[in-house]
Amino acid sequence: MRIPDRRFALYLMTPAALFLAVFVAYPLLRLVTDSFFKISPIVGGPRDFVGLDNYVRAFTSEAFIGAGWRTLGYTLMVVTLEFALGLGMALLFTTLGKASEIWRTMFLYPLMIAPIVAGLLWKFLMIDNFGLLGTLLNQAGILQDPNQIGWLSNPDIVLFSVAIPDIWLTTSFMCLVLFAGLQNIPGDLIEAARLDGARAGSLLFRIILPLLRPVIAVALVVRGIDAARAFDTILIQTNGGPQSASETMSLLVYRTMIRFGDPGLASAMGTIYLLAMLAIAFVAVSTIWRPGKDTR
Amino acid sequence: MSTAEAHDDGGRTAAVVPSRPRHAGEAYRTAPDATESTMASQTAQAQQTIKVPSPAGGRKRRGVNREGLEAGKRSTRTILWILLAASLILYGFPFLYLLLTSFKTPIDTIAVPPTVLPREWTLLNYVNALGRSGVLASFINSTQTAVISTALSLILAVPAAYGITRYKTRSGRVFIMAALVTRMVPPVAIGIPLASMMASVGLSDTPIALSIAHTTISLPLSIWLMSSFFEAVPQDLEEAATVDGCSRLGALWRVVIPVVSGGIAVTAIFAFLASWNEFLFALLMTAVRSQTTPVVIANFQTQFGLDWGSMTALAAVYSIPVIILTLLLQRKIVAGMTLGAVKG
Repeated sequence: MRIPDRRFALYLMTPAALFLAVFVAYPLLRLVTDSFFKISPIVGGPRDFVGLDNYVRAFTSEAFIGAGWRTLGYTLMVVTLEFALGLGMALLFTTLGKASEIWRTMFLYPLMIAPIVAGLLWKFLMIDNFGLLGTLLNQAGILQDPNQIGWLSNPDIVLFSVAIPDIWLTTSFMCLVLFAGLQNIPGDLIEAARLDGARAGSLLFRIILPLLRPVIAVALVVRGIDAARAFDTILIQTNGGPQSASETMSLLVYRTMIRFGDPGLASAMGTIYLLAMLAIAFVAVSTIWRPGKDTR
Repeated sequence: MSTAEAHDDGGRTAAVVPSRPRHAGEAYRTAPDATESTMASQTAQAQQTIKVPSPAGGRKRRGVNREGLEAGKRSTRTILWILLAASLILYGFPFLYLLLTSFKTPIDTIAVPPTVLPREWTLLNYVNALGRSGVLASFINSTQTAVISTALSLILAVPAAYGITRYKTRSGRVFIMAALVTRMVPPVAIGIPLASMMASVGLSDTPIALSIAHTTISLPLSIWLMSSFFEAVPQDLEEAATVDGCSRLGALWRVVIPVVSGGIAVTAIFAFLASWNEFLFALLMTAVRSQTTPVVIANFQTQFGLDWGSMTALAAVYSIPVIILTLLLQRKIVAGMTLGAVKG
């Protein structure tokens, strides 16, 4: 007796599908349900249905709106800087060719380091008083006083400072993907442009970047999703402070749950956050990336 | 035996420049090569708009590319090398400073102004960090959790990815899109309900519960990665095996799995790393018994005041296995990164 291929394929997928249903879909369902209740943080405490009350509270709370903007700002900043640095490095590696291969591998190391370690490390570099960054800038004559910039204590710049470890960790990823893309640009095209008298600038903006568009789209979407979910590096550096100036959405949801013990409100915020992520990712994927549009 | 490229459809592969062209003919025979050729063909998928007309061999095009973007003039190259050296030093310095600091005395660690090199080299920070109660146990917990999660990911992902790629059914397409969507879910959104689920079945604060949570991250990634590796295996291979009297499961187990063993290794590395470095789930789901090292590192900040020396030492120790792993398997990791990026 032979089961049909279609069913055989289904059997092969069933265990993984069940796993994702039980441990991803079901928790998400619970998140959504919880968002309609006022829940006491004590185990076995009361659970009252409050309708959309938690959503109203979320949208009228300054913390929530603020966290939304900060998450957006953080994501745009991380992705832009990573793209600029990553492209620079990828071009450098490409122009140097095969001889730079070993250094290209070295450049990947930060990707393997735990985000928590990276956050800690940069906190140590940027912390007031004994942070090395201020001291080095002071010795180089750029700053008059090593503590002139309160990297992690000044609410105006802290969102930038907490993004540094993230950028440090994953610029390599951007570089790797863009490098792979650069290898696929046919050399004759570059040659032809050179013969036509194209200088480096127009070569980059008129030929290389347009040809890299699909690869750039992939890299930006993947990194954008990750940056919008950033948690570890920010928590360890500032825990969202000072004055919530670095509190992004992940942190806000976490703190609403754990610190302020309001699972209902946290669930409503989590649900909105999830829907926003899915919507933005969906738009990004379908407009600029279009995976498998003429494959599969 | 056809190569991975011949198996792929022509239009896309024209844009492929295999990173190591001399191996192109033996694409899936050995592990690293299978990896590279799939990587190349995946890159091509993302490169659909770049059409290279001629199906010329990789070797030739590499030569052309050299004339294209690679700098030729000696003086230009020197400047570029200096630029590269400067950026790599800048880039590597923070981690180097972490290592150097871990060898300082605890007092020098927070000296004002800080020095780059230790005034006095000592292992005191390491002794302090590793001597703390719970630190060694956390290493065991981290290892346990990562191993269980990796095994679970592979056991679930390998058949699923095979089912998706080999039988191209509707359910398969739906499933792989669902796996992609899972990647966009913020961990904080499922972490909290997941933690209370685990508690209600009596699994709270166990490595099993945490490794299940970690598998929710690594499983979708593993499915995407494994699908690309299976994609590169020519179908005639199992067809020949089934003609020889193998069942479909037997063909998968005895013929296909050995061919994609390199891909399985890549997937295993990523699943392991995802769990080893994960922090949020670990923070939400562990208390004392099953605490992993990232949580312990973070707790140094509050529980014991600000013990920077021990923190740097522990961070350094925790990064060592990862650095060794990277050193040994760098080629596979590069391939997996590119693939994971392009697909997922």
